[in-house]
Amino acid sequence: MSAPTGSRSRSLPSLDISAERATRLVALSGVGLLMASYFSVLYYFVDVSPTSPLPLLAEAAVVLGLATYLSESLRARVAVAASLALLALGLTVYISSLPRWPPIVPLVGDAIALATGRSLLQLINVDLWVLGVAPGPLFLTWYLGLRRRYVSATLVGGATLGYLVLTTDASNVITLLGVVGGIVAVGVGDVDRRGDALAAAEPLAVLLALIIVVSAFVPFVYGGTGTAAGLSGFQGGGGAGTVEASLVSAGSQIGIQGNISLSPEVRFRVQSDRPQYWRIDSYNRYTGDGWVRTGSTRDYGGGQLDAPAGETRTLTQRYEVVDELGVAPAAWQPVSLSGAPVSAARVSDEGGFAVQGSLAPGTNYTVESRVPLADPSTLRSAGTDYPEAVSDRYTTIPSSTPDRLAERTARITANADNPYDTARVIEQWLANNREYSLDVERPEGDIADAFLFEMDAGYCTYFATTMVTMLRSQDVPARFVVGYTEGQRVDRDEYVVRGYDAHAWVEVYFPDVGWVRFDPTPAGPRQAAEGESLAEAREQNRTDIDTNDSTGGEWTPTETATPAPLTPPAEQGGGGPVRTITPPDNPVPDGIDRTAPNGSGPDATTLGDVSVPGEEGDSDGGIDWPSREEATLVGIAVFGIVVGIRRLGLLGRVYRAIWLRYQPSADSETDTERAFERLEYLLERRYRPREPGETPRQYLADIGADERARTVVAIHERARYAGQVTREEADEAMSLVDELVAS
Amino acid sequence: MTDSDTDTRLSGRQQSTAEDVEAARETTTKVVENVERVIVGHREEIEHILTALLGRGHILLEDVPGVGKTMLARAVAQSFDGAFKRVQFTPDLLPTDVTGVNVYNQKTEEFEFRPGPVFANVVLGDEINRAPPKTQSALLEAMEEEQVSVDGETHEVPSPFTVIATQNTVERDRTYQLPMAELDRFMKKLALGYPKLAEENEMLDRVVGNHPIEELEATVALADLRAARETTAGVTVEKPIRSYVTRLAQHTRRHAELGASPRAGIAALRAAQGRAVLEGREYVIPDDVQTEVPVVFPHRIRTESAEATPEQVVQDTLDTVPVE
Repeated sequence: MSAPTGSRSRSLPSLDISAERATRLVALSGVGLLMASYFSVLYYFVDVSPTSPLPLLAEAAVVLGLATYLSESLRARVAVAASLALLALGLTVYISSLPRWPPIVPLVGDAIALATGRSLLQLINVDLWVLGVAPGPLFLTWYLGLRRRYVSATLVGGATLGYLVLTTDASNVITLLGVVGGIVAVGVGDVDRRGDALAAAEPLAVLLALIIVVSAFVPFVYGGTGTAAGLSGFQGGGGAGTVEASLVSAGSQIGIQGNISLSPEVRFRVQSDRPQYWRIDSYNRYTGDGWVRTGSTRDYGGGQLDAPAGETRTLTQRYEVVDELGVAPAAWQPVSLSGAPVSAARVSDEGGFAVQGSLAPGTNYTVESRVPLADPSTLRSAGTDYPEAVSDRYTTIPSSTPDRLAERTARITANADNPYDTARVIEQWLANNREYSLDVERPEGDIADAFLFEMDAGYCTYFATTMVTMLRSQDVPARFVVGYTEGQRVDRDEYVVRGYDAHAWVEVYFPDVGWVRFDPTPAGPRQAAEGESLAEAREQNRTDIDTNDSTGGEWTPTETATPAPLTPPAEQGGGGPVRTITPPDNPVPDGIDRTAPNGSGPDATTLGDVSVPGEEGDSDGGIDWPSREEATLVGIAVFGIVVGIRRLGLLGRVYRAIWLRYQPSADSETDTERAFERLEYLLERRYRPREPGETPRQYLADIGADERARTVVAIHERARYAGQVTREEADEAMSLVDELVAS
Repeated sequence: MTDSDTDTRLSGRQQSTAEDVEAARETTTKVVENVERVIVGHREEIEHILTALLGRGHILLEDVPGVGKTMLARAVAQSFDGAFKRVQFTPDLLPTDVTGVNVYNQKTEEFEFRPGPVFANVVLGDEINRAPPKTQSALLEAMEEEQVSVDGETHEVPSPFTVIATQNTVERDRTYQLPMAELDRFMKKLALGYPKLAEENEMLDRVVGNHPIEELEATVALADLRAARETTAGVTVEKPIRSYVTRLAQHTRRHAELGASPRAGIAALRAAQGRAVLEGREYVIPDDVQTEVPVVFPHRIRTESAEATPEQVVQDTLDTVPVE
């Protein structure tokens, strides 16, 4: 690191000789790669938030321009101070923008104490956060890079990326890209500072290839150890989980997975007058490949929660935990909770209950809910006068979502003139036009778009995700909900809920009514899949899949009436062939993925794991086209491998091996010449190369070559130095060399 | 064929056939066998002298006294049935003692030319460096021009014409070192070296009693030698060989104060042709060049430092310049 004078004198690009400039260019592109890696995460934040990404791009351009402009004149100390000031200013602006709730201090504290591993996506105003935080690191990294302080630049950039890694927002690929960039910056930067040629960095390229290739295999080695990371989380190679695992234990984020299975284990029992979906919680922010619940949770501490605005029916449910549960299911909309978990209960910004830690088997708790009652006509006439808080929070889809999604949704819902009909049509359309399957390959890119345009089957997560996205594209506030379906009815008011009852569905907001449930997943196929899973488990004599009374099959109510909660079954349009409508009281909830309700994250939002398939690359079949980041890495790896091969001379060797063994026939002189070259190469490999000043005869004599070699040399001498060789001699030379090669 | 038309002889000559080469080789074999009746060992040097003879070159033998330089030269010379003359060079030797002189014939009352010892097919110039430059140059003119000028008249020397000169490497203070320009006229400079123990013993055995040189008879006719020379000149020298010799010469010029001249390259090629004949081949291969160059190049090269002798420069050159 140079004295300022040093950098100054070197920073006149016009004076650099081109080779030196190439080295510097490569080192700088390493810095750029590192910056791009963390900037892409920041950009992603903004992309999924309601704000347009343009301000961030403009801000980055200005900051980079400023860093470039000031890199020669500004002293390093001042630059560092300026960056810190920028960062402080940005954070201040962000903090001051926060709404009164949730409490500022814990939230900011959380964000700074990385140890929580919480995704920054949970920040409510993540776009403001990005705009405030981005300039500092960007400026400093680029400034230092331009001043040839590659190590410092890498430290700054690496720290920024590291923070995003700790918050689980930087994926494996992004992280690897940043690491590669940092290594290039430091390695090539060192070469640059020493003034060496770029070729001196060749071993580095080989090393990088090694790093990339090895790290590509790590996920397979550690595969399946439940790194059900968040959305943009690490791309571990986790295998297919259960639906439940992907939904229930997801905490405040849900990634979407590919293949998934069903677990027949019993999770809890419910006593309730009416069947309901035992809801865990909902998610408001769609990221294109998963769901995030922004904001935090607060202590419940007993008492009554707000009830929905419209007409409701009170429903009291008594839950008995059978298997350890990290969540506290409750029918929508819960207003109070009593029983053992009260002290551990928390309420999320979405209005769902969560537990700190987990509920032990045998725990009992009671929830009182107010189930919204609204008939279709009420919902149709509810209007679109949404509170600002609702439309802000529940109508955003990533700006990167392809336009075709909104266009197709508009076409599908062309005849619907109110949000309720829109939701109905979409629900019906999805149920009719997509098959239910747990065996899906997670698509690349936007899940909803892929499900709508490319896939023909999926499970609840896909259905619900797509429906929410479609609704939001029509500016209808909707959210993604996870929980359990009602389960097996073992008595008039008793339900046994198993892992495979985990499910994801949709809630749509109606003014003066509240959140109303829709379920686009076809119920029939889902139940069939669950039945199979249970039967299979029973055959294996598993003990955790049944309670005393659950083996006898479904309790058949004498009266068929099921109370219709929200959406009356009658409302379904032209009932799709596959699925009947999914009114809430439909006994079989849509294909919920059920996952083990094991402890969820710190904020213990229960349900959560909707596992949208496909987060991982474990899709079966199908070509996985690499993303841009992966392509970059592959490119670097290929480059490194090529450099390595070149250094090892592998290509040359392969070529030689073929060349040595195969000689096409031409004219006699050429053949003789070539036979001689092959002989020379062969002898070189077996003995030693011929010295420059050594004649072929001397060479043969020295290495003690046999008579055949001498004959070939004699024929070659005659061809070369006497200009006379016959076809027969040429053939003889060729066959002799063939013999020698074979021997 | 004369030694003066060096530049044209390599090209446009009729190619020698394998039969020609075989005949020429027999001729040389006869000479070698004859010489070996007198000389013990020194096979290499004998061959070098023969290839020089075939290549129409002159030979300078340089070594300490008493190793058999003169004996070797005489043995070679006497193997042919042509005229053989010997000149002992001394400080007071006059040019005319070499070339010959015009004397007044009282009978005919006119001057007539009495040829000197240079008028022979093989001339042995003993201790050439003991004579003053003027006398040396008389011999050298004959070597270069194959003619001598006396009193403004030129006289052709007989053909074939070969000079074998010897010089001492000791007693340098009482000698006249040959200038570079004149050394260049010798195709080869050879050193004999002391014989090996067994060879020396055998030599002593032979010379007890009558020295075999006294009984040596000519075994090769001059006509055969002429034919062999003709054959040699017709030995094929392909482009790779010519380029090899050129590259060798140029390499020496880059690594010595004074490198091998173009004439040195011509000499090397001719010697290599002679070598090819000696080996019974009608074309030159790089090995021939490599055998000849170490005796053809060094005496034409001058180096600045004592460490890099001309011989070393030539050896480095042979090691470095790739054979193609």
